[in-house]
Amino acid sequence: MSNDRLFVLPGETIDPSLIPSHPKNPLRLGPGLRHIPPSDIVPTVAGQLITNPVKNFMSIEYNSTHYIPSQGDIILAQILRSTTDFYLCSLAPYTAPATLPHLAFESATKKTRPILSPGQLVYARVSLANAHMDPELECVHASTGKADGLGPITGPGCVFDVSLGFARRLLMARAVEDGGVGVLDMLGGEEGGGLAFETAVGRNGRVWVGSDNPKTVVIVGRALQETDRSRLGMERQRRLVKKLVREMRWRD
Amino acid sequence: MPREAEPSLNEKQFVIQALQENLRLDGRELDQYRPLELSFGDQYGLADVKLGKTRVLAKATAEVTVPYTDRPLDGIFTIATELGPMTSPAFEVNRPTETEVLLSRLLEKTVRRSGALDTESLCLVAGQKCWSVRVDVHVLSHDGNLIDASCLAVVAALRHFRKPDTSMEAGVLTVYTPAEREPVPLSWLHSPFCVTWSFFGEEGEIAVLDATWIEEQVRVGSCTVSLNKHGEICQIAKLGGTPVEAVALLQCVSVSLTKVKEFSDLLDRKLAEDLKRRDKGGFMAELRAENDR
Repeated sequence: MSNDRLFVLPGETIDPSLIPSHPKNPLRLGPGLRHIPPSDIVPTVAGQLITNPVKNFMSIEYNSTHYIPSQGDIILAQILRSTTDFYLCSLAPYTAPATLPHLAFESATKKTRPILSPGQLVYARVSLANAHMDPELECVHASTGKADGLGPITGPGCVFDVSLGFARRLLMARAVEDGGVGVLDMLGGEEGGGLAFETAVGRNGRVWVGSDNPKTVVIVGRALQETDRSRLGMERQRRLVKKLVREMRWRD
Repeated sequence: MPREAEPSLNEKQFVIQALQENLRLDGRELDQYRPLELSFGDQYGLADVKLGKTRVLAKATAEVTVPYTDRPLDGIFTIATELGPMTSPAFEVNRPTETEVLLSRLLEKTVRRSGALDTESLCLVAGQKCWSVRVDVHVLSHDGNLIDASCLAVVAALRHFRKPDTSMEAGVLTVYTPAEREPVPLSWLHSPFCVTWSFFGEEGEIAVLDATWIEEQVRVGSCTVSLNKHGEICQIAKLGGTPVEAVALLQCVSVSLTKVKEFSDLLDRKLAEDLKRRDKGGFMAELRAENDR
């Protein structure tokens, strides 16, 4: 992470020269920013201001453990119960439940909708996140009708809690270069001896790790949590991966 | 009242499946405790126990009161447990949950009813004045195995505690401040510790020590053994759950003894360290005229 990014505090005025202006695209605000009409953009959290002039996008990068839903976030939700038209899901313990309509799945109709039981996990996108309203989720792209990897999570695996900042770093398109998180690549690469596993990272700070071998799940989960907790750099991540893999081999 | 957040089905299934292969989520052995940290506060009688992410603070205090009329020769000793909303939103003040009732009952049975503290030594004037020793247990963070952590915190706080020195002269009871006379430790008879086993599997055949919160959510039964380092068992509580074979339970108790010896050694070592830290060089240092300035 570069240090030249501006650090802002909640309620601070953002210099208008920093706000990206694009001739065609509308300005999009990410997490941590709020538009107060007519023309004020105010940070709601303390963190680093990120601007992208090409996408005409700005957001605030911060680390916390309290998840606030924001539109477009990919999250890992847990079904609480089902009502006539939608499922109630929890994004984080002790927060207001989010709604997931029964028909918001790929090729779901009234008859073919997936039946989910309480406690099951779904990988979903936040489709609506207004202030003072329960957020709404979807497991299908509204315009294409494709799931794009979203949907109920089945198969052997476990969920591990990480901090929100770490989850965002994992979700970056170039997690190794920009986010500085290489554990997953290392575990699947030569340091980890080519472990086979899959992950589903939710912006709400939950990571699902799936593998047929429970040992692999435990190694990956521990590596992720340890990297997050001790804020490990690349070199220490490599050492951690080697250590965990060696420990597991030794136990066999 | 908010309910305790439940783990997802995937997590529950995985924890059980992994335990059947002798695996735990944090990579521990089945009979291994999480890293145990014990520290004392600046005041006497303040113990802070960290067991992984579980954290318990115990504070011992003493005051002079009137003894109970039916026990004129005994002092008063109480343990107060408090699980507040800070621990988890599922706990409310003044509305004890089952966890809290069980915790206070087990601590009571382990420490108070086993006679770890000699209450007769707390008596000052028979039927009129006695010490009332109270231990407040505050659970700061709950990640499973509260009982073992709380019991260790209570015993550590009481062993660390010093009550003001007193004297009786011609029917006048004097309580000295710490400046006048060095406070005295409680008359402590033995140090009991709790070791909680969690059972998993169809018939409870997998026994696990120091279960985390998620493991506690999926276990089929648990058993708390309280004993001291000499192997004297104070109580065994197996409250409901799947029945466990007697031989397996015997095995558990014998492993518990080794764990209790470790706790006992840790506590002795920490107390000695704390004593060393407080000792500014003994009598000669006190007599010196120069001060720290």
